[in-house]
Amino acid sequence: MSIEDIKEFSYHIGWRNRGRHPGRHASTQRGMGMEFIGHTSLLNYPDPRRIDLRQTLRDPMEQVFVRLFNQKSATPVFVICDLSGSMNFGAKERKIRKAADIAESVARSATRNADPFGFVGFDDVVREDWISTASFKSHRAIELAERLKEYHPEPVSGAGIGDVWRYLPRERSLVFMISDFHMPLTQLEGALSNLTRHHIVPVVLWDADEYTNLPENGITSVTDPESGAKRTLFLRKNYRNKIIESFEARRKAIYKIFMEFDMPPFYVEGDFDADMLTEYFHQFVAA
Amino acid sequence: MAFSQPWLLWLLPLALLPLVFQRTHSKSYSWLDMLPPDPLSDLIGLILKILAVLTLLFIVLGLGAPHTKQQEIERIGVGAQIALVLDRSASMDDAFSGSTTNAVGETKSAAAARLITQFVQSRKNDMLGMITFSNSAMYVLPLTENKEAMVAAVRATAGNALFQTNIGSGLTSGAGLFDNVPDSGSRALILLSDGAGRISAETQQKIRDWFDRMHISLYWIVLREPGGISIFDKNYAPNPDKALPPEIELFEFFKTMKTEFHAYEAEDPKSLQLAIDDINRKEKKPIKYLEKIPGKDLSSACFVLAAIIIALLLGIKYLEVKTWH
Repeated sequence: MSIEDIKEFSYHIGWRNRGRHPGRHASTQRGMGMEFIGHTSLLNYPDPRRIDLRQTLRDPMEQVFVRLFNQKSATPVFVICDLSGSMNFGAKERKIRKAADIAESVARSATRNADPFGFVGFDDVVREDWISTASFKSHRAIELAERLKEYHPEPVSGAGIGDVWRYLPRERSLVFMISDFHMPLTQLEGALSNLTRHHIVPVVLWDADEYTNLPENGITSVTDPESGAKRTLFLRKNYRNKIIESFEARRKAIYKIFMEFDMPPFYVEGDFDADMLTEYFHQFVAA
Repeated sequence: MAFSQPWLLWLLPLALLPLVFQRTHSKSYSWLDMLPPDPLSDLIGLILKILAVLTLLFIVLGLGAPHTKQQEIERIGVGAQIALVLDRSASMDDAFSGSTTNAVGETKSAAAARLITQFVQSRKNDMLGMITFSNSAMYVLPLTENKEAMVAAVRATAGNALFQTNIGSGLTSGAGLFDNVPDSGSRALILLSDGAGRISAETQQKIRDWFDRMHISLYWIVLREPGGISIFDKNYAPNPDKALPPEIELFEFFKTMKTEFHAYEAEDPKSLQLAIDDINRKEKKPIKYLEKIPGKDLSSACFVLAAIIIALLLGIKYLEVKTWH
């Protein structure tokens, strides 16, 4: 896929960052912006270009005032991606491939918004070989995502999610967390509680073949890609309904957890549509 | 229950292979915890495993060729333990009328075979054994209740033969048939010969002892050629210059036996028939005998069971999901 084919989405953040690097997001950084925040004396802020003549003339103490503005700054954007065994699942397209597509889209959109983009992959541990440090040049991250499309996850769990926070900057960042979230809720909760510093967008990758598109009837044997456990399934209407119920209950459970941390989840079932992500930001993030 | 090839049972642990190796075509699912527990599915999984184990188990058992042990049932019937000692010397292949002229008629051996076959088939609960002899004894059949084997053995006596008549060896081997066989109370040895041979004194003593010890009564059927010496000839005057003819000498020896002895002379099939009928009449005493019931072969049953289970597994395979992933 060439870079031009990657679909972008638009995003914004509802908070002010403190980045020095000029960008497109509201910031608390003084600088050459358009956002007026007040006056101060020339001695405090010795920038003669910003002398406010009207304020200076009105001051009985005859001080010289300058106007203060906030600049717009760049916000680091990160994708943390689950590389555990379950991401290998997928009938038409493996989840890991879809995750790579989304990561590329995020990388491209971040570059368009003049934000640095970084990538962190984890499975059982945080994978140092699947890390791309934050950079204003997205090519390296896109190249990594291209490699990710052909990657076949090893049969390990996603326990590394608990350590991801160590690899993110101290500065508040926009973090897309791509996973199927097939992990114990306590593990997820523990991981999220270390990530509250950041603006997390959970991207939940589920596949219709996991529950709604199950075969009508029949016997089959299934293997867990992470633990290697095997089970025989006798699929029938009754049991299929139970599986769907189980997934719906799970959807509620992870929704509840994410909402406790004020991180509304973004579900991707079937194809990834970048416009839906734009919609997500309009819906959930105050401009 | 026993196995013909018990060493193959060392393969039995192979039956556990389905428990060790998992199904290779198992589909990958993202997270099994998402699938609610289902006792029916678990049961089917368990049954499939058990069926696979049973298939291998029955195949290995079948290879081991299991069979039930042969059983012996004691029965009481009318009959005797009879050893047939047949002369196979070449002269038996002559007709009764002798070999000198262009003989026409049934040969002695053919007549004997035919009549003995009839005799065998007319007897119900006999144990019959058979020895043939010419220049030495040939062990044909141990004492058995199997009529078919006996008839086949009689039929097998036809064939080329040698020119000698070693009666002593035939008699000792015939007596040997009774060795290690439980005494049913009625034991007889039928010696069918044409002419006779001489028996050394040592062998004579041995025969006398054995017949006495094993309580064997002796029936001797002499197939006499017309014009030959008759053992019943009262007027026969031995030539003092020569040794006694072998027939007479043998007859004299048999008469000294401690057990019962009857002699018959047959000059044609008819008189042979009469002699055999007489023996048939005499040897009818109630006897105890053990009927052997052969063991049943169970290996084919094992294979059939394995085949049924494989068919069942194939049926389940047909139910298997093919459209997923």
